[in-house]
Amino acid sequence: MKAKKIILYLICVCAANTMVGQDLLGILDKEHQDTPQYTQATFKFTRIAFGHSIETRKKGILDVFVANRFWNTPADRAQSFAADRLSTRIALEYGISDRLSMGFGGTTYDGLFDGYLKYKLIRQRSDGGGSPFSVTLFQGSSYFSEGVVPPTIQDDFSNRLSFTTQLLIGKKISPNFSLQIAPSFIHRGLEYSPEDPQSHFAIGFGGRYKLGNHVSVVSEYYYTANPIESFDTYGPFALGVNWEIGDVMLQFMLTNAVRMVEDSFITQTRHNFNFRNPNLNFGFNMTYVLHFKRHLKNK
Amino acid sequence: MSKVIPLFFLFMFYGQQPTEEKIIARQGRVSFFSYTSVENIKAENNQVLSIIDLSTHDIAVSMLMNAFIFEKALMREHFNESYIESDIYPKATFEGKILDFDPSQEGEQTRMVKGTFSMHGVSKELEIKIKIENIQGTYIVSGTFEAYVKDYSIKIPPLLAGNIAKTISVDFRFEYQPYES
Repeated sequence: MKAKKIILYLICVCAANTMVGQDLLGILDKEHQDTPQYTQATFKFTRIAFGHSIETRKKGILDVFVANRFWNTPADRAQSFAADRLSTRIALEYGISDRLSMGFGGTTYDGLFDGYLKYKLIRQRSDGGGSPFSVTLFQGSSYFSEGVVPPTIQDDFSNRLSFTTQLLIGKKISPNFSLQIAPSFIHRGLEYSPEDPQSHFAIGFGGRYKLGNHVSVVSEYYYTANPIESFDTYGPFALGVNWEIGDVMLQFMLTNAVRMVEDSFITQTRHNFNFRNPNLNFGFNMTYVLHFKRHLKNK
Repeated sequence: MSKVIPLFFLFMFYGQQPTEEKIIARQGRVSFFSYTSVENIKAENNQVLSIIDLSTHDIAVSMLMNAFIFEKALMREHFNESYIESDIYPKATFEGKILDFDPSQEGEQTRMVKGTFSMHGVSKELEIKIKIENIQGTYIVSGTFEAYVKDYSIKIPPLLAGNIAKTISVDFRFEYQPYES
């Protein structure tokens, strides 16, 4: 009887000791849970292929962004060895805060000068709590600078402006795979034909798959619900590779979209995606990243 | 008599662990440096957790990789996304024992820590020299060690091999407070 009691006490005491002496890493794990974890780098670039991604630049980062499209004119008119036509958009894009970016650019081919503001509204959380996806608001506008030939078109400054509003909804589904849906509203300033709507509703789909730590495959497509009627338009599609090397980011893509400003490529892509000239474009974008804010300056 | 024996055992067992006492550092600092001729990279994490069991001399450290702040914001993104893969391996941990540690000794003592350091899915046995300062029961642990990038299966593309050093020097400093669970 006595022996039983002693053993019982022993067991109780030992159990109490082991419960107190739980492993130290376990204690630290519990401490970690208080800090919210936000998903990083749903996309590495501020673009997926030609369209904007949910990513904004961090505070104090200036992107020098050069986008090029090369394409050939149809065979009987083709002249050059490499590419017959070239369009370039040169832009400066700056992170005002960690969530707000802005950019200005100009395009050679269609004479558009554009500017945008982008704000990261909701950030995806990776620790289970919070939002399961990220939402970024995009507001862009462009000014058409080229001469307008048809005299029927009413031409003044405000008519040359077009506006794009986008709600970019993105999710990093796995470390390698991210998806984005972009409901968009576009208002075009110039009315080429009375049968055309000036306001368009469109939706964009984009995705990224990481092949390695520095290389990913991207694809993007926009569907316009009420397209321009007076000439044929197609949804812009792109298949590309994004490659980042330190402060330089390169994008290579095959696309049917010649134009590079949102309102113009979503509604005014005139060629389908196939391998006949001038339908297929080769796109090459280069971003050079400059940091104006040093985070460890005080050390 | 029959009631005294169990009580005796009870006191004996509790008596063995009078310093069942843990100290924790919640804002420990870990920084690392990579010096090359091309580029110096420096990063700092001010939210590193560490805990010491003063009775067993066990020490544990845990840090979130995405809490490292870099000079350049983009480097932080690259570090997490392309090198350390913090989506898959969010933490680096260390678990070990301080050898010949005397918690009651006031002032400075230099001791060795032996344990396992895990990062990027790789565990390495490490022996690190640390300095322990005990100022009236407040402990500060600091030290430096070198980590070989190769050891932790971190891939660096050949194009950037010149930008990242092969050995990274890691500095740490933890200030402990009594831990109440």
